[in-house]
Parts: sequence; structure tokens; C-alpha cells
Amino acid sequence: MTLPILELRSISKYFPGITALDKVSFDVYSGEVHMLLGENGAGKSTLMKVLCGAYQADGGEILHQGQRVNIHNPSDARALGIAVIFQEFSLVPYLNIAQNIFLGREYSGLLPGTLDHARMHKEAKHWLKKLSLDIDTHTLVHTLGVAQQQMVEIAKALSQNAKILVMDEPTAALSDRETTLLFEMIRKLQSAGVAIIYISHRMSEVFILGDRITVLRDGKQVGSADPKTTTPDELVKMLVGRSVDMAYARDFQSSPGRVALKLSNLCSENGIEDISLEVREGEIVGLAGLVGAGRTEVARATFGVDKVSSGTVEIFGKNRTGEPFHSVDMGLALIPESRKTEGLALIRSVEENIILSGLKKIFPSSWINNKKAQQVSEDLIRKLRIATPSGKQSTQLLSGGNQQKIVIGKWLTTDSKIFIFDEPTRGIDVGAKAEIFALIYKLVQDGAAVLMISSELSEIVNVCDKAYVMREGKISGLLEKDALNEENILKLGMTDA
Amino acid sequence: MRNTTLSEGSTMADTFKRIPGVALMLFVCMAVFCTLNADFLSIANLTNIGVQSTILLMISLPMTLVIMAEGIDMSIGALLTFCGVIAAYFLALTHNLPLAIVMALVVGLVIGIVNGVIIVYLNMPPFVVTLGMLGICQSLALILTDGQTISDVGETIGFAYRGDFLGIPLPIYFAIVSYAVIHLLLYHTRFGTYVFAIGGNRDALKLAGVRVNLHHIAIYALSGVMAGAASVLLTARMNSGHPTAAIGMEFDAIAAVIVGGTSFEKGNGWLFGTFLGVITVGVLRNGLNLVGVQSSIQVASIGLLVLVALLLDSIKSKA
Repeated sequence: MTLPILELRSISKYFPGITALDKVSFDVYSGEVHMLLGENGAGKSTLMKVLCGAYQADGGEILHQGQRVNIHNPSDARALGIAVIFQEFSLVPYLNIAQNIFLGREYSGLLPGTLDHARMHKEAKHWLKKLSLDIDTHTLVHTLGVAQQQMVEIAKALSQNAKILVMDEPTAALSDRETTLLFEMIRKLQSAGVAIIYISHRMSEVFILGDRITVLRDGKQVGSADPKTTTPDELVKMLVGRSVDMAYARDFQSSPGRVALKLSNLCSENGIEDISLEVREGEIVGLAGLVGAGRTEVARATFGVDKVSSGTVEIFGKNRTGEPFHSVDMGLALIPESRKTEGLALIRSVEENIILSGLKKIFPSSWINNKKAQQVSEDLIRKLRIATPSGKQSTQLLSGGNQQKIVIGKWLTTDSKIFIFDEPTRGIDVGAKAEIFALIYKLVQDGAAVLMISSELSEIVNVCDKAYVMREGKISGLLEKDALNEENILKLGMTDA
Repeated sequence: MRNTTLSEGSTMADTFKRIPGVALMLFVCMAVFCTLNADFLSIANLTNIGVQSTILLMISLPMTLVIMAEGIDMSIGALLTFCGVIAAYFLALTHNLPLAIVMALVVGLVIGIVNGVIIVYLNMPPFVVTLGMLGICQSLALILTDGQTISDVGETIGFAYRGDFLGIPLPIYFAIVSYAVIHLLLYHTRFGTYVFAIGGNRDALKLAGVRVNLHHIAIYALSGVMAGAASVLLTARMNSGHPTAAIGMEFDAIAAVIVGGTSFEKGNGWLFGTFLGVITVGVLRNGLNLVGVQSSIQVASIGLLVLVALLLDSIKSKA
């Protein structure tokens, strides 16, 4: 009986307010490809970082060939033969390919500390050749395209003669030809006895490559499956789960009015293509898809933050042009994804933040009347039920839910009629979530049009009237009524599903 | 292959794009000055520019590495001054030249390490830390000299600046050795590779299992020790220790690095560009002197040089 080369036993990892990994157990044998599947935020990346020594697990143990080991830092991981191909590139832009491949384990020249360039280039060339890559190893990495950078990243991991190779969506940036090459490479490594942990969103890859599948959801291990006996539909069910949180279910029928926001064949410089959608007054339209599918980019282009390269944005039938402040004048409000960096001036007070967007309307003469400012902000604090000792409190001391209410409150002082919410409930607890949705419902019942971006499928399904699903910068489908369910969103959102 | 050679189908615009902005600026400056003053291109004057630029080169080379690592060293001018005073102080005290040189180097190294430790371990912004150090060094130089010039330095040290070997002034050898050493460090050692990586992708370096903090501190230590070495030439040039000798020289150094095409982001640096930048600043100062422009206006012209160089590079990257 052989032991798994690597075994994780009930690994847990906590971040303030979040359980990223909850007693996850996972093992991989030499010569096996173990697929790791999960939605955004399911804990896949955290698990990987624990494996490579970037994070320390808060609980559980790691066994290497049956022996208990500690992975305190990347060097420990490397000593165990673990190599990781990261999704965010770990390349240095102004070093050449060879220097990047050997970063941190350079060959020494005659004197200690000096480099043996010739040897590094020779070996780098050898690894590139294995991946059928014909690029000069002296090329600086920043001049390469995304796919080529990904291949360099793969060459870097291969060159470490890893016994355990971890790949985080390695094909995300690759063309079909490069993907085929990578799969061949993986097969070769597999027969050479390398254990491979492969994280993927692509359903087809799971069945082509996988010997075993493990599914994570909300930091928990949902289960394992054998690709030979499992169907894609069964996998999707495991991914989605059944626990739908109904705390924020809506209890009213929408009555759509005029078309408020209309995008026609919108393309932006930030990689979205041919986006057409409509949002009417009094309805909530969802924008679903995986992280990186281009949802935020749609919001940015609509608002005028990113430059539109072709297509139009119409607000109540009028073309939107110009800068973001023109959009605000036309009645558009954007509640951005990262409230801490884009939504709030963290060190400033609740009052200062909440009246920021409405300054022009509250004080048309540009002079700020402190008494009136206080009145407006106290009014909003009461109305939104923001838990703060006073309007003078610095916003960074408030909880995520209360911060989010301030970001929304900012727009209530303006004449906004169209609201774009980008992940309005990220990182806030269930109670605050319900309050945020109550606010959104109030807006809609008062006749506002809402476009909501969310990665939480249950939110899209339970809150929205209809939803567009995006994939790789394009809209892959519109789901309405009974068709608006989690399985369909996943199918449209995942490639090759 | 990505790098097409000049011969295949290159247009004027292509050629223009490939010439670094700093080379164009240097060429224009030299062309202007040699039409304005016939003496400009004489061997004697060109040698003079080289000698005068040596101290600036010695602090600009490590400044390139500092800026590549997304930092800055505002203290370099004041540190240079302080080390120069230290050298003069120990010369006056002991008349022992090797001891004076060692003391200058040690003080430079220590202050460089202090800068680095505060920046790296306390995670403070390099600008603020080194600005504070600028004040401290300036003050220490004034305290040590009591605000006076230390002139009792003997005859030996002056030779370092005025002497020659095989007909070539000694400072030129200082410059060549400094350039060679830093070039080797940057392009042919692990340390150099990590300088690119600290600016370009610090996390990647950490994940590669490298002791990033130590290498990061070493960059500031190098800057300090080079200031110590340059201070020997500074004291030799003036044959004395003066408490405000190199005040404001960080401006010239940073200007030379930026003009030379090193950017504050992504670890994008070019050592030879810094050399060209130093020469350009030197040519500008020397040329304006020859033509009789006041030194107060020279500072403005260096500021202008930086702006034009940045403008040229941004035009070229868009072209």
C-alpha cells in the first residue's frame, strides 16, 4: 500500500471575520492529477498559499509521505519538492526569461554571488523547448504577451524538478494550441511520477485531466468525486450547494417602467466586447459571471471611468459622453467593488463621506454650511440605520456593513435614478446584507433602476428580476424567470461547460 | 524574435524611437555649447568635465539601484558632506590618510544601513526616512566642524583629485572603477538580479525563498558606502572639510538617474543611462559656466533637462 506523497488533514485558516478554510482534508498521490474545484471565494487560493508557505495554517497538519512536516516559508515548500504556478504572475518585468526562471536559485559563476548567465540561458532554453516555445531567453519578460508569460511561469515551475506541482488555472490565458501542449506536458509529468494539484474553472478540463476531483465551497470541503462516474450536472450541484440564505428574499413584484440604462455593443479599452444590455426603472438586473469575466469593467465603462472604444451608453435615451461627473449629472450612481479604496475616504468622518457626492446639490453656492451638513448627514444616518456613535466618527472604525451603507448613502443626496452596485455585499455579515438589500428594494420601489454585479449566485437568483451572465469579457446569456437559477448561471459563466 | 534590427525596413520614426532620450539631450547640449564656445570641445575641457562629474557619478550609480527598488535617497548630498567632513576631521587629528578614508567609508556605510533598516523593517516611506536623515547628516556636519572649514588636512589627500597616472587624472580612474563595480553588481550577481525583482515584483522574490529584506537594506548600504568613497574625492578637491560642501547634490543625482531613463516603477533601470545622465548634467554645468551663465540659473536648467527628458520618453513610448 502506498502513501499519498502529500496529505492535508483538517486544515483551517482564519482571517479577521472570515473562515477561509474550515477543516479541509486533501491528499494527492505520485502520478496523479487531483482537480480542485470551487466558486470564487471557496478557498482554493488560500489552500494553495498554505501549501506553498505563503500562509500558515491555523489548524490541522500536513503530511509528506506519511511524515508530519511544517511549511513555514516558501523555502520549506521547495525543499519538499512543491512548486506552484500562480494565477497572478510571479514574474519580474525587467528581468529576462532565464533570470525569471531561475529567480532565487541562480547558478553561481566563478566567484560566489556572481551569475553563470551561460548556464542559466542554456537550461532555460531547454525548458522552453519542452514547451515548444521558440523565444529568445534574453527577452525581457515585460515585452511578452500574457500567454507567453504564463508559459514562462510554467517553465519556471517545471525547471524546479518538482515532485508536487500545484497549478492555479494555468490555462486561463492560453490559446487552444498552448493548452494542448500543456496537457501533453502534464501527461508526461504524470507518467514520470509527479503529483499534480490542478485548480480549474473549466468543466471540460476537469474531465480530460482529472483522476480525482475535490470540490470546495465557502471554505469547506463539499466532497470528492471520480470523473469517470460523475456527470457535469452532478458536479455543478456540488459546487452550488443547497444552502440558500433567504434572509434577504424580496417580497414585492417589480413593475418595470421606461428603459433607464441601455448599453449597445459597448467595447472598452479594458477588454470588454460587444456588451448590450437594458435596465428599466423599477427593476433589478443582475450581472453575473466569474471574477475576471469583465463585470466591473462594464460598470467602469458605463460610468465613464474607462474609455469606451466603441458602442454607446444611453441614459433615458440620451447618449452619455465625457467624464464620470457628467454621468453623475445625468443621474448615474456607481457603488464600487472596493469600498475602502474607491468608495470612502477612510480617515475622514461619516459626515464628510456621506455628503460628498451631494455637495453640489446641497450647497449650490459652493460655501459649506456646517449646520446644514450635520443636519443632512444625521438625517441619513438615521434613515440608513448606520451604527456610529456620531457623524464625526472616522469611517475606518466602522464595520463593513456600515461602511457600505455610507457609500450607498452618498448617492441618496443626489438625484441619481440609476444605481450600479458592484458586489454590494462583499465581506459583510448576513444581518447587514439584509439591510443593504432592503435599501436597494426601497430604491427600486421608488422607481430607481438597479444593475447589480454579484459573485454570489444565490443573491443574483433571489434578488434580481433578470440577469445577464458574462464570460471572458462578453455577455454569454440572459436569464429570466424560471431560467434564472444557479445551475444556469454556472453553465453560462464557466467556459466549455 | 522581438528585437528587429535597424536594417530591416526601419523608418526615421523607428530610428528616433530606438535612441534613448538622454543620448539625444546630450547630443543637443554638446552641439549647442560647441557652437557657442570653441573651447568646449577641447581635450582639456572634456577631461575637465569628466573629472568634475566623477563625484556625481559615484553617488548617481547607487541612486539608480535605490530608485529601481522603488525608493529614493534624499540624504545622499548631506551624507556626502558629512563623510567629507569626517575624512577631514580625522586627517586634521591624526594626519593618517588610510584611517581618514576608512572612517569616511564606515560612517557612510552605517548611515546607509540605518536608512535601509528603518525603511525595510519599520516599513516607512523612503522619501520621509531619507529626508529626516538629510537633516541629521547636515546637522552632524555643522556640529563636528563648529560651522567652520577644516583646512588642516595636509598635502596627501589633494593628490587624489589633482594627481594623474599615465597622463590621465586620478578621478577618471575612480569613475571607471566605480562604474565597473556597480555594473558587475547589477548585471552579474544575485544581488543585482534581486534589485530588479524588489522593484519589479517583491512578492515573487519572497515566494522564491529569497531573504528579501537583507538585499533591500543592502541597496541603501551601497548608496551610503559609495557616498563615503565619493567624499574622499570631495575633500581632496577642496583640500579641506566644509560643512556645506555637497548640499543639494541629491538633486543632481536624482536628475541624472531620471534623465538616464530609470523609472520609479517596476524595477525598470538602466545603469549606462545614468552614466549618460551624469555626463549630460556635467556638460550642462560646464557649458553654462563657459558661456558665463550664473549658477543660480544652472539649477533651473537642470530642472528643465529632467522635464524635457521625461517628455521625450513619453512621446517616444506613444509614437
